[in-house]
Amino acid sequence: MSAVDTRHRRLCHTLFDAIEQGDIAAVDACYAPEMTMWFNVTGQTSTREENLAALTTGKGLHRRRTYNDRQIRTFDDGFIAQYTCHVVAHNGAQVALSACLVAEVHDDKIVKLFEYLDSGKFGARR
Amino acid sequence: MNEYEIRELCEVFFDAYQDGRVDVLDRVLADDCIIWHNVFGRETTRDENLARYPDSYVGQRRRTYNDRIVNTFHDGFVIQYTLNGVMHTGHKGALWICIVAQCRDGKITRIDEYMDSSKFAAWMGGPR
Repeated sequence: MSAVDTRHRRLCHTLFDAIEQGDIAAVDACYAPEMTMWFNVTGQTSTREENLAALTTGKGLHRRRTYNDRQIRTFDDGFIAQYTCHVVAHNGAQVALSACLVAEVHDDKIVKLFEYLDSGKFGARR
Repeated sequence: MNEYEIRELCEVFFDAYQDGRVDVLDRVLADDCIIWHNVFGRETTRDENLARYPDSYVGQRRRTYNDRIVNTFHDGFVIQYTLNGVMHTGHKGALWICIVAQCRDGKITRIDEYMDSSKFAAWMGGPR
């Protein structure tokens, strides 16, 4: 396992752990200043500031959100994470979303994120 | 497989899908290949996938796999692409898709496909 592979994997886990814990400062530390994120559900690209604002707002929307089953693969300038996002709503309803995140990394900071998931599952609570 | 062989395999696979070359798909998918779709949340076998290929084209005149961004890792690739379709009605639709594939000995052994099912109606030209 190369040093780059190890660093990219660590960055990926740091990002997910930070989002899970609602630690926006730690998320911010993973991002390059010019970071952008594209989301397949909206087809839109958001800036780092917009992304951090959305995460801040999103913190209170659910009781708990965990990023499980992380399968991470790395390449020279990025990583892919396939994961399950388990959401527990305030009323106890749960939903699991299978998602894929592709990240471009420069100098140990994320410069681009692409997230793919099925928004048709948003309402599939149990 | 080295990076160039994996990239070549990726391009061959998508060109074959685009051109309806089931014989090529049959060649590049390993016998034990599994295809998983996030929309259905279940795995299908290689043979199930190949058998359903003609049905997947129902209502469509043409499909092209564009804007391919490919990155490789030691035993596979991730491809982000736009699936552009032209329906028999003339309607044009697009889906953004990401596939993570594992490869071994010149063949694809596993495919995980991620897309958004809420875009299907717009893709086919139905109500949005």
